[in-house]
Amino acid sequence: MHAPSPPPRKRLLRLKLNGRWREDAVAESDLLVDYLRDVAHLTGTKTGCDGGECGACTVLVDGKAVPSCITLAVRCEGCSVETIEGMATQGRLDRLQRAFHEKLGTQCGFCTPGMIMAAEALLRRNPNPSDEDIRAALAGNLCRCTGYVKIIESIKAAAEVTP
Amino acid sequence: MSTLASGLRVAHPHSIEEAIAARAQNPGSRFLGGGTDLIVNMRRQIDTPNALIDLSRVDEMAEIVAKGDILRIGAGVTIASLAGDASIAPYKAVVQAAEGIAGPGHRNMATVGGNLCQDTRCIYYNQSEWWRSANSFCLKHRGDTCHVAPQGQRCHAAYSGDLAPALLVFNPEIDIAAPKGCRRMPLADLFVEDGRAHLSLTEGELVVAVRLPAAPPPSAYAKVRVRGAIDFPLAGVAVALTSSGGKVGSLRIALTGTNSRPFLLADTDRFAGRAVDDKLLQEIDRLVQKQVQPMRTTTASSNYRRVAAAALARRLVAQLAGQGAA
Amino acid sequence: MTSEPIVDAKLAQRRVPLIDGIDKVTGRARYTVDLDHADALVGRILRSPVSHGNIVRLDVSKARALEGVIAIVTGDDCPYTYGVLPVAMNEYPMARGRVRYRGEPIAAVAAIDADTAEQALALIEIEIEKLPAYYISEDARAPDAVLLHDNKPGNIEREVHHEFGDWQAALAQADLVREEKISCAEINHAQIEPHACLAEYDPLTERLLMQSVSQVTYYLHLMLSRCLAMDESRIRIIKPFVGGGFGARVEVLNFEIITALLARAAAGKVLMALTREETFLTHRARPQTDVTVKIGMKRGGKITACTCEVVQRGGAYAGYGIVTILYAGSLLQGLYDIPTLRYDGYRVYANLPPCGAMRGHGAVNTRHAFECLLDRMARELGLDPFEVRRANLLKPPLFTLNGLMVNSYGLPECLDKIEQASGWKERIGKMPPGKGLGMACSHYVSGAAKPIHWTGEPHAVVNVRLDFDGGITALTGAADIGQGSSTMVAIAVAETLGISLDRVRVVAADSAVTPKDNGAYSSRITYMVGNAAIDAAQKMKTILTEAAARKLEARPEDIEAIGEVFRVSGGGEQSSLPFHEVAKAALVDRGAITVSGTFTTPVEAQGGKHKGGAVGSTMGFSYGAQVVEVSVDDATGQVTVDKVWVALDCGHAINALAVEGQIEGSVWMGMGQAMSEETRYLDGLPAHASLLEYRVPTIVESPPIKVFIVESHDPNGPFGAKEASEGALASFAPALVNAIANAIGIDLDEIPVTPDRVMQALIDRRRQARLAQSVRAAS
Repeated sequence: MHAPSPPPRKRLLRLKLNGRWREDAVAESDLLVDYLRDVAHLTGTKTGCDGGECGACTVLVDGKAVPSCITLAVRCEGCSVETIEGMATQGRLDRLQRAFHEKLGTQCGFCTPGMIMAAEALLRRNPNPSDEDIRAALAGNLCRCTGYVKIIESIKAAAEVTP
Repeated sequence: MSTLASGLRVAHPHSIEEAIAARAQNPGSRFLGGGTDLIVNMRRQIDTPNALIDLSRVDEMAEIVAKGDILRIGAGVTIASLAGDASIAPYKAVVQAAEGIAGPGHRNMATVGGNLCQDTRCIYYNQSEWWRSANSFCLKHRGDTCHVAPQGQRCHAAYSGDLAPALLVFNPEIDIAAPKGCRRMPLADLFVEDGRAHLSLTEGELVVAVRLPAAPPPSAYAKVRVRGAIDFPLAGVAVALTSSGGKVGSLRIALTGTNSRPFLLADTDRFAGRAVDDKLLQEIDRLVQKQVQPMRTTTASSNYRRVAAAALARRLVAQLAGQGAA
Repeated sequence: MTSEPIVDAKLAQRRVPLIDGIDKVTGRARYTVDLDHADALVGRILRSPVSHGNIVRLDVSKARALEGVIAIVTGDDCPYTYGVLPVAMNEYPMARGRVRYRGEPIAAVAAIDADTAEQALALIEIEIEKLPAYYISEDARAPDAVLLHDNKPGNIEREVHHEFGDWQAALAQADLVREEKISCAEINHAQIEPHACLAEYDPLTERLLMQSVSQVTYYLHLMLSRCLAMDESRIRIIKPFVGGGFGARVEVLNFEIITALLARAAAGKVLMALTREETFLTHRARPQTDVTVKIGMKRGGKITACTCEVVQRGGAYAGYGIVTILYAGSLLQGLYDIPTLRYDGYRVYANLPPCGAMRGHGAVNTRHAFECLLDRMARELGLDPFEVRRANLLKPPLFTLNGLMVNSYGLPECLDKIEQASGWKERIGKMPPGKGLGMACSHYVSGAAKPIHWTGEPHAVVNVRLDFDGGITALTGAADIGQGSSTMVAIAVAETLGISLDRVRVVAADSAVTPKDNGAYSSRITYMVGNAAIDAAQKMKTILTEAAARKLEARPEDIEAIGEVFRVSGGGEQSSLPFHEVAKAALVDRGAITVSGTFTTPVEAQGGKHKGGAVGSTMGFSYGAQVVEVSVDDATGQVTVDKVWVALDCGHAINALAVEGQIEGSVWMGMGQAMSEETRYLDGLPAHASLLEYRVPTIVESPPIKVFIVESHDPNGPFGAKEASEGALASFAPALVNAIANAIGIDLDEIPVTPDRVMQALIDRRRQARLAQSVRAAS
């Protein structure tokens, strides 16, 4: 009888997730997206490809938009990680969420969390982006439904709202 | 559920010395820059280190410092930081190359050192374990045949980094740390025309910085790819040109995407003193077409990459000459 | 739902956000892999490494012995074929005896974790005796080719030969006859959500719960029953949030049946999450197609005849193949007046993943070839591209030669809209070097008029419920896959009942509670389910009106309902009742109310009497036209789409916001096929099976799309509506290719127009020019 390999060694990972410090046991081989979905049970962050090709898993690490499917979880020790679940606060949608909803920047919704996080990183550093700025900032986020037209409209509408 | 092989260990050194020591302890380990190349390859099991030496906490590698007539770029500087750094602005080709790499998320993670040392690519190589196994693997990894050129003895995987050609036209040097100490060499010497072993680094060596000479000549970088983002270059060309009175002073052209290494086009010295006219541009076109060696490593045809590389070289030279005259 | 009203649902404006949009923007929408699977086993599939061969040995004993492996299934565990067409089910969930494409499932494992499942796969021993394999139609059709399926001579799944009118005489009468052969690469849906399903089998009650990414849960229900030999009543299908479909999930997919088999074998719950590569291998998308089209035309542009041969490389199994090859011919009609027609279609087997339905099913590649040829002939005759199309407009109501019913026809207005908006007349012929304009038209069905499974049931059923809480619940089996069909149902019900959209809740695609629906395919939901929803709401309204009349002591015909108030028309404040009081009155004596609305297509809408005549038939066609502006870099072969103007006749925009979204998305998907998307196989292995190599356009090269909605008010559509999500797709590629011809004077005969193809065409032209020059010099 073949024996399976032993479970991977774990270590404690301490990070600030959507504004709250927490500590979890993770395998050193865990990717950030595995940690978010399977350990923290935040399933808003999606996986759409086999590694770094679609942007659906985009989250913010220390304010920067990164693909969490090619980021090691243990690399985020001490970092601030923000996901789509951290965007709405106290029953209020964030301006980007509201705009994506009202302007139909989301259709099937699968790319939406990553799209919104990439847009959030953009608006934090550039409050009044042009169409070209938006295209450049979302260049790594694929959407298969919208043709991107209403995504651009959504982000422009959000930019007009004071956060 | 883990998508990387379980059992992987990760070390987080805080200095180059610690990093080199950690690496030396474990021959099965690899240095980890941004991970945008290595982690993807690990997910496909074409790279299978048992441990990673994470360089993201080595602060001394993450600085850009101007000292004397040298601009020293730490290998740990991210592509996004590089593109936005004021001291890089005069090196226009580098800025243009950096801004066009992959997508913005990748640029936030990927590093200068990682981009320079990225693995070569091929449609027979950058595939899943199932895929490569069904194809009896390949010369680059676990197999004995190069499916691109089955009769040949070498691997033709293409080097597809954008920064290398953009840096090469400035004739920079690189600093390399190693267990035996540090060494310095021209960036051009880092690369070897062999898809399976395209870097001249020896076991345990680490590129820690790029040293760019000050007062760079006017330069530009352009590439062709199918989409406006994410895609690797099918061909990328950097040009640095000094000219006066419509005549070429010095001309350097470097290419990526067409060979197993990025390289400086040979014989561009002969253009010195010549007027930038159609005849000269045609000669450049021919010179590029003669020296590039694209193989069927991408879904786009190899002839396209040859012709497009030449077209880009012509265009950039004409463009820079025009700017010089203006 | 949040307590805060996000939008004021002013139906008059008809711009309504999706009713499930908040779930999507907050990340709380649960897609299949987000469902609770803490106690689920991990499923993995062993796939064939060879393209074609006989399985001589399959030994799973070592894998079965691995600690942590709970179940293994192989072809031996399922002797039943599955498929979409009752006459063409020639595929097993896992290969039995023979494999026909690289990636075909052979066995599957359920284990306690992913690592164990992967190790188990590696322990399965398999020996396959190779057979010759064919990757292009021509090779598969060669006289000496080994047959993929013994009962399909020539490796042809289906030949179609249709003739309407004396096309030979009509060609002879034409002033100009031209023929082109145009090729379209195979493409894939590439919906962003990879395939996944979660199956749970309870051995104590012998019940199966399947949650999957399906577009048609009814087919899934049927096939699970067939392949697991289970009574349908013991199976429950729930569709969670689905991350796009575009046709990928219209057919039941092998992994769904495999996962159910694993769950039963494991007596538990199994999560199967396919990788992106496996999602590509599952395929079922648009086939590689060669179209040879010939048109006869009078000097003024009037078409006298059209002949068309279509060869589709369908992959290794039948799938939707028969329907696709029929669509490719039947939808030559219904857009223009084509008085005579001959169509020859060949659906060919090859050792590649099976093709299937994809947005614009069957029609896109034929339309592309036709519209390219139309432009080239117009040019030769000195006619404007708009004029040549106007010379061939239909005059509805009518039935086409092949029996397609056309009642509403907004194409003329579409043409006017985009001609004006793009400044066509002022700009065409005066574009700067390297820039060009091109245009084309297209159409698509609003639901296949005849369902594949003919049961005698209505085409659509919607139930509407009212209970003590005063909430209106619409129950529909229609799968919302992101296109917004549940929102459409909610609007249809709210608008009919005269109530606020907030009062309507839609429960969709749960076989335990929602009525069966034929699913999200052929753009049928708005037309069919919309009509059924209106029918149900009207029945509910009758009950409510009668209740209000009783309470207000008036005659039902004098009651009007506006803005959630029922009043006696002409009466004062005392003669009105708020909705909740009317609801209470309606429940007296009878309790909770459920009414059922239906929709059925009349026989005359179901197409011609010839064999295959039902395919392409519909209650109404959407019509689209678009202008594409391009820049072509003749040094690098790179094409940039600068702008698109598109008009679509969707009958009536029930929700203009969603209609715009569908039009933009379909135009853009057409752009992907035209510009960059393409599957390529290296001896049957996919070179494209990632989102790096399969080039879905990024936001960077995606152009602004200016949308015009044209409303022709179809007499039978819900509020006059027709479909809006497929009709505009097929005109992008020809408009692009026509624009490139306008820009650089080169007619491209292959899509996608990748830089290497454009460059090759430029090189060929230079070579020809040099040759011509040297010939002149020599003479």
